[in-house]
Amino acid sequence: MQVYKAPIRDMRFVLAEMNDMADFEPLGFDGFDLELADTVLEESARFCEEVLLPLNASGDAEGCTFENGVVRTPRGFREAYAKFRESGWTSLAADVEHGGQGLPESLGKLVEEMSCSANMSFGLYPGLTRGAYVALKAHGSDELNARFLPKMVSGEWAGTMCLTEAHCGTDLGLLRTRAVPKEDGSHAVSGSKIFISSGEHDLADNIIHLVLARLPDAPKGVKGISLFLVPKLVPMEDGRPGARNGVDCVGLEHKMGMKASATCQMNFNESKGWLVGEPHKGLAAMFAMMNSERLSVGIQGLGVAEIAYQSAVAYARERLQGRALSGVKSPEKPADAIIVHPDVRRNLMRMRAETEGCRALGAWVARALDRLERSKDKAVRQEAEDFCALMTPVVKALFTDLAFENASRGVQVYGGHGYIRDHGVEQFVRDSRIAMIYEGTNGIQALDLVGRKLPAHMGRYLRTFFHPVSAFIEANSADPQIGEMVKGLSRAFGALQLATATIAQRGLRDPEEAGAAASDYLRLFGLVALAYLWARAAKIAHEKMPAANGDASFYRAKLATAQFFYDRVLPETAGLFAAVKSGKASTMALEEAAF
Amino acid sequence: MSDIGKVAVIGSGVMGSGIAAQVANAGVPVLLLDIVGKGEDRSAIARGAIEKMVKTEPAPLMAPGNAKLITPGNLEDDIAGVADCDWIIEVVLERLDVKQDLYRRLDAVRRSGTPVSSNTSTIPLAQLVAGLPDAFASDFLITHFFNPPRYMRLLEVVTGPQTNPATVERISTFADVMLGKSIVACHDSPGFIANRLGVYWLQRGVIDAIDGGLTIEEADAVMGKPFGIPKTGVFGLLDLVGLDLMPHINSSLSGLLPESDAFHRTGRDLPFLTKMIADGYTGRKGKGGFYRMNKANGAKLKEAMDLASGTYAAAGVKTIGDLKGVEKNLRGLMETQSHLGRYAWNVMGRTLAYAASLVPQAVGDIVGVDEAMRLGYNWRQGPFELIDRIGPAWLAERLRAEGEAVPALLAQVGDGTFYRVHEGRRQFFGLNGAYRDVVRAPGVLLLDDIKLSQKPLLKNASAAVWDIGDGVACFEFTSKGNSLDEQIMDLLGKTVRLVKERFKALVVYNEGGNFSVGANIGLALFAANIAAWGEIDKLIFAGQSTYTQLKYAPFPVVVAPSGMALGGGCEILLHCDAVQAHAELYAGLVECGVGLIPGWGGCKEMLVRHAGDPKMPRGPMPAAAKVFEMVSTATVSKSASQARDMKILREGDGVTMNRYRLLADAKAKALSLVDGYKPPEPQVIRLPGASGKVALDGAAAEFAKRGIATAHDVVVAKGLAEVLTGGSADPTDDLTEGDLLSLERSVFAKLVREPKTLARIEHTLVTGKPLRN
Repeated sequence: MQVYKAPIRDMRFVLAEMNDMADFEPLGFDGFDLELADTVLEESARFCEEVLLPLNASGDAEGCTFENGVVRTPRGFREAYAKFRESGWTSLAADVEHGGQGLPESLGKLVEEMSCSANMSFGLYPGLTRGAYVALKAHGSDELNARFLPKMVSGEWAGTMCLTEAHCGTDLGLLRTRAVPKEDGSHAVSGSKIFISSGEHDLADNIIHLVLARLPDAPKGVKGISLFLVPKLVPMEDGRPGARNGVDCVGLEHKMGMKASATCQMNFNESKGWLVGEPHKGLAAMFAMMNSERLSVGIQGLGVAEIAYQSAVAYARERLQGRALSGVKSPEKPADAIIVHPDVRRNLMRMRAETEGCRALGAWVARALDRLERSKDKAVRQEAEDFCALMTPVVKALFTDLAFENASRGVQVYGGHGYIRDHGVEQFVRDSRIAMIYEGTNGIQALDLVGRKLPAHMGRYLRTFFHPVSAFIEANSADPQIGEMVKGLSRAFGALQLATATIAQRGLRDPEEAGAAASDYLRLFGLVALAYLWARAAKIAHEKMPAANGDASFYRAKLATAQFFYDRVLPETAGLFAAVKSGKASTMALEEAAF
Repeated sequence: MSDIGKVAVIGSGVMGSGIAAQVANAGVPVLLLDIVGKGEDRSAIARGAIEKMVKTEPAPLMAPGNAKLITPGNLEDDIAGVADCDWIIEVVLERLDVKQDLYRRLDAVRRSGTPVSSNTSTIPLAQLVAGLPDAFASDFLITHFFNPPRYMRLLEVVTGPQTNPATVERISTFADVMLGKSIVACHDSPGFIANRLGVYWLQRGVIDAIDGGLTIEEADAVMGKPFGIPKTGVFGLLDLVGLDLMPHINSSLSGLLPESDAFHRTGRDLPFLTKMIADGYTGRKGKGGFYRMNKANGAKLKEAMDLASGTYAAAGVKTIGDLKGVEKNLRGLMETQSHLGRYAWNVMGRTLAYAASLVPQAVGDIVGVDEAMRLGYNWRQGPFELIDRIGPAWLAERLRAEGEAVPALLAQVGDGTFYRVHEGRRQFFGLNGAYRDVVRAPGVLLLDDIKLSQKPLLKNASAAVWDIGDGVACFEFTSKGNSLDEQIMDLLGKTVRLVKERFKALVVYNEGGNFSVGANIGLALFAANIAAWGEIDKLIFAGQSTYTQLKYAPFPVVVAPSGMALGGGCEILLHCDAVQAHAELYAGLVECGVGLIPGWGGCKEMLVRHAGDPKMPRGPMPAAAKVFEMVSTATVSKSASQARDMKILREGDGVTMNRYRLLADAKAKALSLVDGYKPPEPQVIRLPGASGKVALDGAAAEFAKRGIATAHDVVVAKGLAEVLTGGSADPTDDLTEGDLLSLERSVFAKLVREPKTLARIEHTLVTGKPLRN
């Protein structure tokens, strides 16, 4: 059974206790305070629990339908989307200038997490609009933005990103879609795209596609790709959607999960489009939103992991099987609830420790997104940009890998009842699986980390992570309460330092060395990051516990979970370090024919 | 040392005064004469030239004080002074009548037997001595210097049938040992060798670029790096030497060379060039040349000329375009079927062929041609070395295929190569078809030669150790830029043990362009970025203890630097028993420039040196203040002579003028220290402590107030002051060398955590320039 109550207490913890609300002050988020944040979180929680959650399993069962070029979302989605939009959830973190509410990403990402927990498929529709909004805001002309952004912010119009073609996904240099300049300054865009999320649906009045295509004089490869805005319906003078624009959905992909999200094959036939940004610089324009988008995909993973955890806990409390190894716990019942069993707890604790850790890490990175977007101090923006650049691949890959693993752990807690569809928890496994693939596969994230982010500016990005962690270790290694934990952190951090130096050195001589180590290195990096945040959480919990009164159980749980992470998860860093150190030899030894 | 005690230079133009400066740099007095000036001071022209040199950059004088060795005069009142001179160098106008008239006047006053040489680049010796007395002709030769005379190591020497061989020997030896020049003996043929070939190459470079439709950026990119030629390539070099010089040398060469010479087939009138010169576009000295700086609108924009239209546009990136990927394979480069590939062949293929045709016509052997182009045009490899890379047989075949004549020497070498290594000796292809050993002059020892016949005693990725004979070992840096890293420290430690067991002395030396650019700060920066503070401290500690081992080793250690010796590369100098420096030594403790302080004993050694100087005022403050001044400003010497003023060199340390003689001199110095060698006594020192620190901090604050120092400069200077004043020590405490090293380490560890220091290191590594943050 899919169980979800938004974890507002923990969200408050990462928003206002692990980070300082006063940080928002100099960034010009007028009127944003904890009270407002609470209101937003509570409203969002209600909406997600009451409106989106009930549509999750039904949407999965029904799926989207395609008939005569028309895509219909599952029953209830249209009404839910209308309510979502009217309640202002699409405009939360958008700029006031475009009709948004101008709230911080730090809050926006928490709200995103809730909708992804309650209904990941649903969350994708506004998520893509948001991505298109970010790209247009950064690179679109004022005229274009004035025309399109307000309607996208209000959610009346939706957005997509059209990158992939049948023969090119990761390697966009092979792209074939063409754009021919027209006399009126627009372009005629023609070509076929696949895997287009929200490419066609019945939720919004119009869909604004951001399409990668080649101009006639384009150089070969990735340096010849331009970005175009192509609406499904060309807006009329008065702004209302007008004539059809040769943009057609020709089919839906049949997928493992995310059944309620329309993944479309799209055709563009001399469709009217407008250049976004400079000619041939389309990939750069697309990458402007990558930090935010990839963080969002990580958040999707976090969201699914959270509902998987809650659903597993509910079942483990109810399901009666066997007796506790330490003696009978519920003599009045025929058996004890399975939550008494160490191995069930191992699964639950791990889900909890990783999920809460990821929430804290996501909140840390979201703060940097806000600084990057809003700070008036160039040095602050630079530091934030460095940090986002470094952490984006870590967050995307780590969160989604863990989400899949934890969705699977949830099924394990259910046993056979998880594997059959009735309880709805196998849906989490299927839904979460895509997040490891789209927006750049997790293998690509790992390569991005070791190949681009590590060596950039002689390792400058690394400073934004390594220095605060190192300073925290130095400041707290003698702490009477968390000193022991910090020793563990210090060991794992040392392994990460060595692994980083090793990859930098070997990778310089032989890029394949870096490639072979990449995924293990990313996981090592991610676990050390979680360990750092768990140690900080433990420190705060120790500090607040004495005066916490009714809240003491929250902090006690934090401490117990932190300790579990240190005892049972962090030791894996040693194995990862050994794997990184072993080099590429055994990975590359086998001749192709021997496979 | 030399029987030439005084030199006369006639003509005080750029070349004349430059030659006079180099003679003065050798410590030999010079009489510099020019025509009578118009004003009251009849020697104003020569005097003015000397004054101007003191301000010129790059400086012709190795120390401003060397100007005192140059006495200005005029040709009417002071010509009798040449009677006291042991060598007379004529550097006047390139006009035969003017020169011959001068020779007659000189002949009347010179002591008989005094050598007279001309610096002519275009007039044959036969014409210069025609009609002059036999006694004059017997003392006469051409000594052709290259501009600027201090820095260009080539000297072309041309003798006539009447020139006395002993005179040639005497002048050559002086030019070699005292002036640091490498002598290439040329025949009395037009343009001698370097310019004959160089101008041919430039001429082809221009014309083939026009005919092939290349941009000048493309032409310079193709001619530059792939061939090991300075990145100025063809057009950038013409801008540098002056566009007006080219038609001049051209017409003189065409006038002298026989019709059959290939030179004539490169020539053709370029009206746009004539117009450029007429309009004042003579290159960097004029309004600009093929490149120019457009300073309009307040911005500085580098522009390049379009060869077809003569108009300027923003200069593009110098790129070798479709040759990328084959640039290391010169044959592949010349075989590429594109306008750039054809250009590479048209210019370089033919230039190399022309070079082969000049032996023995212009110079006796191929070695001379290669040396001339390496030292006269700064090519990394000479033409015959380049032909060996391409393959002589391939070159001959391609020439044949294109219907070009194949030079006899090239045909003769056939499938062989022009150079080979035979039984550990470098040999070259002689005129009789047999290989001959490349013979070095007495007193020349090259590691490059030694390496042919032995394996290193020790070796790792960053350094190697060689046996240079007579019980002396040589430690060589082999890392990129000879930057210092853990590996070098490790091998130095092992070397100390090796020398202790098996050798008498150690020389630290290498044949890179620079002795060492300092510690590998790229590694340090990466370590700092990942907060590997322990690793950084380990590196500092390793450097300190290795240099200390070197200092107190039970055998003499001599270091022989040439070029840059910066930061850690300077600190090693301070820890050796003696320095034998190449005259061109650019040494300094530059750590403050990247926001750090010297951490490998540089502060310690400089303090001890200044404190031990009897000429310093008494008390602990003067030494600290003096070192603070030098280190906080990251001062670098512009010569060995200046390094001595900075106390980087000490009294007994030697200076070698000729780069080729450096290793032999260093080895001799090391051997001279062997008998009765005792390591130095450890020193204790008293430093001014807190009150001294206040004074130095105040000085730094004052600089900041005057806008000379940035806020971070002050942070760094304060760290430096802490070390130099002894930290928390009292002026009555005796501080050991170990105490000072600990201070260096702790301050270094603090500064390397400063974000602004890391920003400086990153900026310096990426741009090669300092960041003033």
